[in-house]
Amino acid sequence: MDFLVKFASAFMGVFQLGGEQFMGWVTGIIPTILMLLVMMNAIIALIGDERIEVIAKVCTSNPILRYAVLPWLSAFMLGNPMALSMGKFMPEFYKPSYYASASYHCHTNSGIFPHINPSEILIYLGIAQGVTSLGLDATPLALRYMLVGFIANFISGWATDFTTALVQKQQGISLSKEIKSRA
Amino acid sequence: MAEYKAIRVEKGSGGFGGPLTIQGTEKRNKVMYITGGGVAPDILPKIVELTGLEPVNGFKTSAPEDELALVIIDCGGTLRCGLYPKKRIPTININPVGKSGPLAQFITEDIYVSGVTNAQISPADGSVVPTEEAAPAAEEKKGGIDTTKKLSEQMAESGGKGNVLAKIGLGAGKVVATFNQAARDAVQTCITTLLPFMAFVSMLIGIINGTGFGTFFSGILQPLLGSIPGLLVLGIICSIPGLSAILGPGAVISQILGGIMGAEIAAGRISPHLALVGLFALNCHAACDFIPVGLGLAEAETETVEVGVVSVMYSRFATSWIRVLLAVVFSIGLYTV
Repeated sequence: MDFLVKFASAFMGVFQLGGEQFMGWVTGIIPTILMLLVMMNAIIALIGDERIEVIAKVCTSNPILRYAVLPWLSAFMLGNPMALSMGKFMPEFYKPSYYASASYHCHTNSGIFPHINPSEILIYLGIAQGVTSLGLDATPLALRYMLVGFIANFISGWATDFTTALVQKQQGISLSKEIKSRA
Repeated sequence: MAEYKAIRVEKGSGGFGGPLTIQGTEKRNKVMYITGGGVAPDILPKIVELTGLEPVNGFKTSAPEDELALVIIDCGGTLRCGLYPKKRIPTININPVGKSGPLAQFITEDIYVSGVTNAQISPADGSVVPTEEAAPAAEEKKGGIDTTKKLSEQMAESGGKGNVLAKIGLGAGKVVATFNQAARDAVQTCITTLLPFMAFVSMLIGIINGTGFGTFFSGILQPLLGSIPGLLVLGIICSIPGLSAILGPGAVISQILGGIMGAEIAAGRISPHLALVGLFALNCHAACDFIPVGLGLAEAETETVEVGVVSVMYSRFATSWIRVLLAVVFSIGLYTV
């Protein structure tokens, strides 16, 4: 009988621990995130998607604009996954590189701007919550995540130019580097 | 038309949506699958046999959207499950996932069915709806916005140019409505994506910590998550081309590891100094599962997708160590005691 009681209380203990973790996240994370989401959603709705498209067309010309500035802006304005659609203004050759950079930007900026990728935010939040529960401020972490991301995502995007050239050779395909005039 | 037969697809156990009737036409004659990093799903042979549709591997190549009669995905509930329903292409999700993710609003019973196995697929006879006829329903969303615009224009006209009060009222009304909608969307996001995931990972952490499994588990993870070389190795392993695509969907594995690493930091078993390095190491393979879809969003051509899938996986692998080391350098002074 003792054994049964012990087993049952251990069994319940597992879910109590899980519940505590859940409550910690819900009360510690959700309220702030919710307020941020409301604000960001509103800002984006007021600025409008069309303006970012105008910027996107300008940004195709050089690597820094292409793999650092535009992906950052698109991630901020459009979030995951629509930020990836801004690649449509690139010549075919640069689309994979833009994707490589923009998809990373949907992660590295999410510490400060959670609206970018709320469904995958727990990578950042999980770790940040650990830091906060030690009594430390998570802001430096979020800020560094974004700034290092800015550099690292640019490198990742640019490096893809070279791997694309390599794969092109392997597969005997050549992609255009010119912007197609589109209707 | 004769060679394309209609099938009826019902939802599986725990699934959502349907039943769908899939009918290929001369133009819409392809079924694209974007599953398991390019591995054909179990249900594909049966669908191909019954419908006569041509199978297309979304990881290898792509097909013009207007030729797709059906898309098969294995999305865990974040993105893909809403993308094709948004484009009004009939979608089968082999995972039992309902309305979920940022595009949840587009996931409706008439275009999406989930949890499907071979048992739910049967030939359909009689009343058949060709997929093309489903398309016009997509327009509905715009209507609301246009109507309000017209209404506000009308009001502005009737108020006249001189009526400043009316203008201020209209402006304020628009801002309030925008914020209200923003709040509605934000709450929806919390409910459909954030809370379920938190509950899921919390339960995992409960099991890990409550069963004594935790000490055993962190014994394994400690060397990987708890030191810079370990995180570097983890980052490189996760970004190995091919493996990276399998680890990707929904960033589930990264999110679980993030939750665990945070819990370990809180418990004092991992130094908070490693937090930034951890963030980069856990995410080296980001979006490798999503390349064909992402390039599709960028309106890439078929050849671009073929090259791009391989190219992005290579570059992820090639730059993963650079990213982790950059994070190491920029961690100087972060949470050092």
